Amino acid sequence: MTTSQRWQRILIVLGCAVIAYAVLAPLTSLDGAQALNLPLLTDKLWFRLATITAMFVVMATAWNIIGGLTGYAAFGNVAFFGIGAYTTGMLIAKAKWPFLLALPLAPVAAAIFAVLVGLPLLRLRGHYFAVASLGVGVAVGELVQNLDYRGEPIFGGASGLFMPIFAVPNRDLYFFYLMLGAAGVSIAVTWAVIRSRFGYGLIAIRENEEAAAVIGVNTTAYKVAAFALAAALTGLAGGIFAQWNVFIDQENSFPIAYNVEMILMALLGGTGTVFGPAAGAVVLQLLIQFLSGSLPITLDLPFVPEDAMPVLAQVVLGVLLALVVIFAPRGVIDFFGGRSRLTVAYLRRSLRETSI
Amino acid sequence: MTPQLDLRNVTKRFGGVAAVDGVTFSIAKGEILGVIGPNGAGKTTLLNCISGVYRLDGGDIRWHGVSIAGLARLGVGRTFQIVKPFGSMTVRENVAVGALFGSDSERPPLRAAFDRADSVLELVGLRMKADLPVSALTIPDRKRLEVARAVATRPKLLLLDEVMAGLNNVEIDDALEMVRAVHETGVTVVLIEHVMRVIVGVCERVIVLDLGRTLADGQPDVVLRDERVIQAYLGERYARRLRGG
Repeated sequence: MTTSQRWQRILIVLGCAVIAYAVLAPLTSLDGAQALNLPLLTDKLWFRLATITAMFVVMATAWNIIGGLTGYAAFGNVAFFGIGAYTTGMLIAKAKWPFLLALPLAPVAAAIFAVLVGLPLLRLRGHYFAVASLGVGVAVGELVQNLDYRGEPIFGGASGLFMPIFAVPNRDLYFFYLMLGAAGVSIAVTWAVIRSRFGYGLIAIRENEEAAAVIGVNTTAYKVAAFALAAALTGLAGGIFAQWNVFIDQENSFPIAYNVEMILMALLGGTGTVFGPAAGAVVLQLLIQFLSGSLPITLDLPFVPEDAMPVLAQVVLGVLLALVVIFAPRGVIDFFGGRSRLTVAYLRRSLRETSI
Repeated sequence: MTPQLDLRNVTKRFGGVAAVDGVTFSIAKGEILGVIGPNGAGKTTLLNCISGVYRLDGGDIRWHGVSIAGLARLGVGRTFQIVKPFGSMTVRENVAVGALFGSDSERPPLRAAFDRADSVLELVGLRMKADLPVSALTIPDRKRLEVARAVATRPKLLLLDEVMAGLNNVEIDDALEMVRAVHETGVTVVLIEHVMRVIVGVCERVIVLDLGRTLADGQPDVVLRDERVIQAYLGERYARRLRGG
């Protein structure tokens, strides 16, 4: 890396920090936002949206560690989100632990689970691993809902778990910052991993597992560690979600759709990069919300009745996934930082790469 | 003195076929040994047995007198006949990853690994191409990279699987120079080759495999004049012609 490139990077990071401050500073005071007459910022909906977006930044960035860096397409990471949510939820609702004591155990529980299922599953390659991990993702949710002990559901069953509301001033703001912090941790962890022996080992496994093993990478230990790290971060997001949402059940803690969405976000932004999955999460989450009509700005399309918008959103997402995979296999992050430019030639080259 | 590597009755079967059938030989430290044989003789299978890719069906492999299953982290480096570079990395990164891992005892920090990568690239003659992506390398250079990555792991024994295959004469001379340079750093080298000229040019000792068995073991000029070797390797017709001429 040349000095000018290094400066360019430092400036980009500084620029992002300044923009982030400009966006976030008014949020520290709702009164301030109201005085400035910024309707979006005083809206509860905005906080919900921003927190969910940060949550997806965590999940997409965490998925990138196992899917993007190590090259193992995990399709069941939502299990870790749910395990994180239920760990915090159970400790608060049943054991009456305070939230801040229960939260650190969410990533721990998710990571332990990842090690247990990772040891057998990570011996599978390619599609086999993808399908098996999807199975685990579905199975855990079903187990949590249906496990009984002497006729009593252990984890709250179909009626879910309720937690007492966490009493802090500016609750919406508090959880937004907490989730944003988790997103920051995920990105920082990825940044550190990519620059470490561990990260080089993971990329070596992705590029050629046999060659990696022969030069002395302990492939099993590395893969399981990457899986556990992704699980811990995803579990952390789940733990925060549980207390923020106050109520958890199978439907909101193990949504199968999250599996697809977090992968799509990482692909869209650029797998294997530090900021790609986060960028993909922000763009895609806003798009999902916009298309499903949750944003204050709505779209009036001729011939499309309003109640069909969520369906249309799914169709657009599907088409988008296909287009990204075919025409921008390295993600949109490839167009930033001067590596490539979005030209017809780029699209044609990608098409040649991705087709037979 | 215990040999560095000692193979006794090494056997590997695929179904009913014994690809390697009771091969016995040993390698002394600092030696440069050639293993040749016609197609399907079991050369690569033998190498996979030594480097721990396959589990043995019989026999024993000893590293400094100790029986072991996989050698990867004990100081044995290898290359693949079909090169397996890390495609998304630059040439320097490929070699640096080798330096980052390798034998368990002495794994250097990141900076030192990249320094080592540079000195290994110098040794194999890829210094000028260090910052290129692997995709920009020619076939001979990819083979060099394969050797460089293995050398970077600080091996005591290096197994080279047909690193000269597909190269023209000039390229083979360059590659031989590289193998000699690597050997001179004190590494024991086992060269698996199809190209006769390579073995004669650089090896002190040659083992000939045929149908999974050791056919001959000795100095190159003696072994290559052995009639059984000529027959197995070049065909009966050529052997007859040699006898006649």
